[in-house]
Amino acid sequence: MRDVFIVGVGLTEVGKRVDIALRDLAAEAMVKAMEDAGNEKPEAIVVGNMLSSLVEQENLAALIADHAGLRGVSGFKAEGACGSGGAALLAGYSLISSGLFNKVLVVGIEKLHERPTPDTARGLAYAADADYELIYGISFAGLNALVMRYYMNKHGVTREEMAHWAVMMHENAYHNPYAQLRKKITLETVMNSPVIADPVRLFDSCPLSDGAAAIMLVSEKYRKLNDTPVRVAGIGNALDSPDLSSRFELDRFIAAKLSTERALKMANASINDIDVAEIHDAYSIVAAISVEEIGFAARGKAPKLWAEGRFRLGDRPVLNPSGGLKARGHPVGATGVYQVAEVAMQLRGDFPGLKVGGEVGLAQNIGGVGSNVTTIILRR
Amino acid sequence: MTTIQRIWRLRNRLIRLSGTRCQDCGLVTYPPKAACPKCGSRNLIEIELPREGEVLTYTVLNVPIKGFEQYAPLIIAIIKLGDAKVLAQLTDVKPEEVRVGMKVQATIRRTAPTLDGVVPYVVKFKPIKSSEVSAEGEGIETTVV
Repeated sequence: MRDVFIVGVGLTEVGKRVDIALRDLAAEAMVKAMEDAGNEKPEAIVVGNMLSSLVEQENLAALIADHAGLRGVSGFKAEGACGSGGAALLAGYSLISSGLFNKVLVVGIEKLHERPTPDTARGLAYAADADYELIYGISFAGLNALVMRYYMNKHGVTREEMAHWAVMMHENAYHNPYAQLRKKITLETVMNSPVIADPVRLFDSCPLSDGAAAIMLVSEKYRKLNDTPVRVAGIGNALDSPDLSSRFELDRFIAAKLSTERALKMANASINDIDVAEIHDAYSIVAAISVEEIGFAARGKAPKLWAEGRFRLGDRPVLNPSGGLKARGHPVGATGVYQVAEVAMQLRGDFPGLKVGGEVGLAQNIGGVGSNVTTIILRR
Repeated sequence: MTTIQRIWRLRNRLIRLSGTRCQDCGLVTYPPKAACPKCGSRNLIEIELPREGEVLTYTVLNVPIKGFEQYAPLIIAIIKLGDAKVLAQLTDVKPEEVRVGMKVQATIRRTAPTLDGVVPYVVKFKPIKSSEVSAEGEGIETTVV
């Protein structure tokens, strides 16, 4: 397998972007990434997206390649629910490491504010098992709530310990110009926010987001397109059941553990090498289990650690300096691309928010309730 | 919205609560699978799960997904039924009365209409009152198919 490098990143502001069309939002990220890579054009694009059918638009690769001046390149869309961005990066990485292409632009794009919220909420629940779960009317927040109650009961975790995560994420996002929720909050904000699916409260949950991000991946031959190329040292993906009923354990995401092990093994790295990580905190419970499966905390202990002040700037590792899904926002199919771009910028030293620096970074992108997980290790 | 053909395909599983048991490693799974999630064996048999069990975890949705608004507040639980777990709606109980560990039994009820306007029936779970005999299979409403 050939080495793969990141030589360009492009981010757009996450939020309720009714001001801009899907194709223009995608093109903005793509052009930024190409300009960051010495204005080089890719030979292929891979698009990460979950729900463009909600805006009656499929065939996304053709649409956005053409719109961004790339008519004639190769390309396709990759889908893995909220893990679509990670799936697109896995495909893009494979296209280069296999030798088929030398330059691939991976683009994550999602527009959730084009339809009334009930339509979007139903669409997000398509990540669950349609035959056996959706048939009862459960929302995606509801599925996470089932796991959250089980986890808190089993491990004796308090409501307040869980709530510290959101406060930390809002503090981090305050400094990130691309973040959707750039305002600091208190523990009371979280504890007094409306219950959306008991015990999940509004501030345990990420917002609905539009956004696009792009990353130029290249082979060794083109690494000099950027003064500070970042190597994709390891990448791992794993799947679990989309249904919760048949999970071996309700408080675990085995796909998160397996994908981490695969990525670390490929990178010849250990968990202790990680300086900075962007993890997938669609809900505070997802953050807790992700942190534990990666190995940053023992099982059932992540909320206690973050309530004690761990994982903030000055600690190691620093988690989600971007503000995470909770406050940077969660433009579903774009999120995995944002995470990897943000970690790459941390290692390059040019992330425009909280600066962590470091040599080795990790990003974990989770689709469904832990059912499609991609973990990526970057090395400066 | 679901469709009439989906409900028709699932009619036995959603009413009889069919799972699969692996003939090699013994794992019982719901929903039924084409191969064992633990050992990969395709040597599975379809079994009927017990109709009484206990709540492992639950949630209360004030905003169910589109099409299920009439059921708000919607209570969904994961219920331990013998060696399997089943995600399903709880009925005949107020949100504040639900507890982890609560004993429940299967009952057959209507759910939200399909895209074609058909009203399907599915298994939901209701509390077993302490006065009721909890012999397996008793107390189940089976008049509707």
